[in-house]
Amino acid sequence: MGALGFYFDMQACIGCRTCQIACKDKNNLPIGVLFREIKKFETGVFPKSNSYNISYSCNHCEEAKCVKGCPTGAMHYGADGTVQHDPDLCIGCQYCIMNCPYSVPQLLPERNIIGKCDSCIDLRNAGQNPACVDACLMRCLHFGDLDELRKEYGEELVNALPILPSPDITKPSLLISPKTCALESSFTELEV
Amino acid sequence: MGNFINKIMSKTVTRRNFIAASAAGTTALGLAGCGSNSLNLLNDAKIVDLEKEGEWIAAACWHNCGGRCVNKALVVDGVVVRQKTDDNHEDSPDYPQQRGCLRGRSQRQQVFGADRLKYPMKRKHWEPGGGNKELRGKDEWERISWDEALDYIANELKRVKNEYGNRSILHIGGWSSRITDISSTLGLFGGYCEYWNTNSFGSWAMAPKLYGFMQQGIWDQTVNDRFDLRNCDTIIMLSMNPAWSAMGSASWHYLQAKKAGAKFIGIDPFYNESFSLLEAEWIPVRPSTDVALLLAIAYVLITKDEPVLNPLIDWDFLHRCTVGFDAEHMPEGVDPNGNFKDYVLGTFDGFPKTPEWASEICGVSSLQIEKLALEFGKNRKVAFLCGMASARSKNSDNLPQLIMTIGAMTGHMGKSGHMTGSTMHATSGNGGPALVCAGSNGLPAIPNPVDDSINAGEVWNAVLEGKYNFTGSGDFTSEDQYKAGEIRDIDINVIYHSGGATLQTSDGMAKGIEAHRKVDLVVSHSQFLTTNSKYADIVLPVITEWEKFGGFDGGTLVHSSNREIIITYSQITEPLYEAKSDQWIAVELAKKLGLDPKKAFPFDEKQQYFNELASITVIDEDGKTYGPLVTISQDDIKELGVTGQPQNGKITYKEFKENGVYQVKRYQGDNYGYIAYEDFVKDPQQNPLDTESGKLEIYSRNLADTINAMGFSKIEPIPTYIKVIDGYEDTYKDWATKEKGEFPYQLINPHYLRRSHSVFDNVKWLQEAWANPVFLNPKDAKENGIAKGDTVLITSQYGKILRNASLTELLRPGVIALPHGSWADVDEKTGIDHGGADNILSGQTPTGQGVSGFNTVIVRIEKYNGARLISDVEKPSKIVL
Repeated sequence: MGALGFYFDMQACIGCRTCQIACKDKNNLPIGVLFREIKKFETGVFPKSNSYNISYSCNHCEEAKCVKGCPTGAMHYGADGTVQHDPDLCIGCQYCIMNCPYSVPQLLPERNIIGKCDSCIDLRNAGQNPACVDACLMRCLHFGDLDELRKEYGEELVNALPILPSPDITKPSLLISPKTCALESSFTELEV
Repeated sequence: MGNFINKIMSKTVTRRNFIAASAAGTTALGLAGCGSNSLNLLNDAKIVDLEKEGEWIAAACWHNCGGRCVNKALVVDGVVVRQKTDDNHEDSPDYPQQRGCLRGRSQRQQVFGADRLKYPMKRKHWEPGGGNKELRGKDEWERISWDEALDYIANELKRVKNEYGNRSILHIGGWSSRITDISSTLGLFGGYCEYWNTNSFGSWAMAPKLYGFMQQGIWDQTVNDRFDLRNCDTIIMLSMNPAWSAMGSASWHYLQAKKAGAKFIGIDPFYNESFSLLEAEWIPVRPSTDVALLLAIAYVLITKDEPVLNPLIDWDFLHRCTVGFDAEHMPEGVDPNGNFKDYVLGTFDGFPKTPEWASEICGVSSLQIEKLALEFGKNRKVAFLCGMASARSKNSDNLPQLIMTIGAMTGHMGKSGHMTGSTMHATSGNGGPALVCAGSNGLPAIPNPVDDSINAGEVWNAVLEGKYNFTGSGDFTSEDQYKAGEIRDIDINVIYHSGGATLQTSDGMAKGIEAHRKVDLVVSHSQFLTTNSKYADIVLPVITEWEKFGGFDGGTLVHSSNREIIITYSQITEPLYEAKSDQWIAVELAKKLGLDPKKAFPFDEKQQYFNELASITVIDEDGKTYGPLVTISQDDIKELGVTGQPQNGKITYKEFKENGVYQVKRYQGDNYGYIAYEDFVKDPQQNPLDTESGKLEIYSRNLADTINAMGFSKIEPIPTYIKVIDGYEDTYKDWATKEKGEFPYQLINPHYLRRSHSVFDNVKWLQEAWANPVFLNPKDAKENGIAKGDTVLITSQYGKILRNASLTELLRPGVIALPHGSWADVDEKTGIDHGGADNILSGQTPTGQGVSGFNTVIVRIEKYNGARLISDVEKPSKIVL
């Protein structure tokens, strides 16, 4: 059995941000805090330009720097191997924010503690999918055992892209089916 | 509302209960402002526990958004704590869940928004006759009672009627003046002047029906069923971006066609999200120049066609199914030299419509035009799919006819894998008759005794100048709206907005604001301080669909839903604050006007709901016969407290209500497939079209006569190139020497996922997700000293707006893309709109069939010298009273 994580089919994503809003709704997040976010990138020059989106969240890394650097044990591995966070132990020191190469942990300003994607562990324990997965209009997000996901969606999946930090740092539990243009080394982030 | 607050306050406030209540309730209670203080539920109240405590209720998602989806709200002790979408059945491409988008999933943020209007309001300096009219849009608001509000309105309506007659009351109800409950009240009152608009349909509004380019009597039905998309070799998309304008399953359906092997070609100034998804080959055409491009494609098809070696044209199709293509197929009694082929070749005008000629106008290289033309070749299975955006252009009345002509020349009609036509919104890529048909509430239609009806493209000028071109009445769907023009005097003294966002979404908003500052009374119904309401005198707070007993959406195709579903929804919350339903207002206003409301509303809203429920029909598995959808028992009728008969259908009332949807199960080879024009193309003699000739009319005398008689602008019976007002040529001071003019850029208004037209623009979650910049090509930005993120001042001959720049190589140089529908926020000192409203930049110039030219706007751009615009999400919500 492999680690649990998200699979993202970039080739099907239209960047609509429904996953972002479903996540905000499920976690009731204030403005300025996103546990899942979409970014759009473009490559090339008119008329040979192209674009791709990435929907990203906590990668529930196998060697999570947020867990390692957390002085209180608030950031920890749950029983299923996903990275979980205990608000009662969190002192808001923000070391995890500094340590995560993916900028995933967020400060919840009103509470002065950290929050992040818990892979909707409550829903999963009740036999449901994470909110973002069931929200996706293009069915491009899935969560599960990475070995199983690889079997289902192909061995071509990657966890490294020019826009992402090296997977060597934290061993992210992440699988992406990339668009070809997302493999180009030159890119620009596009605000839409 | 008081009850709602008391309920929350009197609850035993355990930590979890408090947070749960706060989660949805804070904004409604006004505690949270823009929502930034909302508390986080993580590890405090587990959603799964809330699911046990509360109830998932099917919730309305009722907007003009391009989708129609299942929405559900988790209601705990009267408070909405979470939303979800369709999970009624297993999901597959053939039988997809009707999943909702980011806007529907933000619905609770809108319904319970801190900026909901709470009470009836009056502008402080309004008084009968208008008071200080100039203060509209900048005056203070005063809370008034419903009784006062309705008295003010009724008394002013009576005075204006006595002094100027009913035709001085301009009633606007959104896309049609005849569709709101106030239409009935004002009809009983003696009538009102109507407003009409070609809306999203542009030059597809009326014209296609005249030359046979409509099936099933409605738009978008010349395109085959979604399963047939998977049979295409090539799908050519013109001016469409379903990924931003047709939420729900449309993009997923197109993706299935790609997976089945279809090659996509995208023709648009923007390499948009759909093109990117489908890896489309890009034809970066300039805005409002599709006619030139397509004429050149016709030229290539005609000149390169070799019936044996390189067959491009389907001569058999042209011969059997069309009139007007060449001299041999012209209608009787007209000059055969006026045929399409000779026009394209320049036989008589000495001016062939070559790719070189077209290239100068449309910006696509002649080589790329030639290559594109070959893609249409008759021996390929081609879908030529067109959005209507490029037909929301001035002088575009021949564009749909030319699209039909290209489809007919290449025989891409009437067969599996072949289709040509418009496709957009909830029916994008999925033609065919509705498999579930909406019911009727049974209310009587109250006619409007006044026949005046002013086109959107000149309505504000008509208010200001007292004249307009009368071309019949009804609305854009009515044949009676397109009669011979007649200049009439008009003296508008009241503007009554009972629905829609017309000041925001009609051309020429700057003139519209002026017009609103001229009349004696402006009334507006709304849930927020929308642009309509901002410039009004009396604002009436109305409830959302979440506050109604229940209702239905879908089953009528056009802008309603896809053909496979009907949505039902139930009440989620009691009416908030003092908000009332539109119908309650219509009834109470009728009483104040001394009218009998029973004539318009003989039974209550619950009975209307039941009538609609009971009359929904659904197709049988045979794919032919329709019968009642819902099984209703005597107990259901008793529980509802309505009058009616039990009936048998395919789903019980209880299950329908719980699911929030009825969806016909589709599979490959079912009986619900649809090939447009199939019978006609097989045998045009036996199955004639509803045109003068019974065929597709490439030469349409009826079209030219109808439009030319209307009197807005002239066209020919065949599709010809007409110079477009405010089009590409007008970006030049001198076209011949190519000296650029004062407004050197073309501006378009893409639909944008922050909102549905203008609805949802105030929702902070969505503002955060979609920042609403203006899109510029880096080359244009650089030439004007604009860097990424700079605030840009965009100026047209009609107005000025500000937006921050997003630079993208996905947009062709020379074109500015300003997202459609952002709420105006005009700085009264400078007259500059900080909201970035698209229609501040457009003007009042109706053309052809009364087309609104939203996508024909020319502008200049410069870096703004004032303070940088803060992002919309950082702006405070517009909370009044």
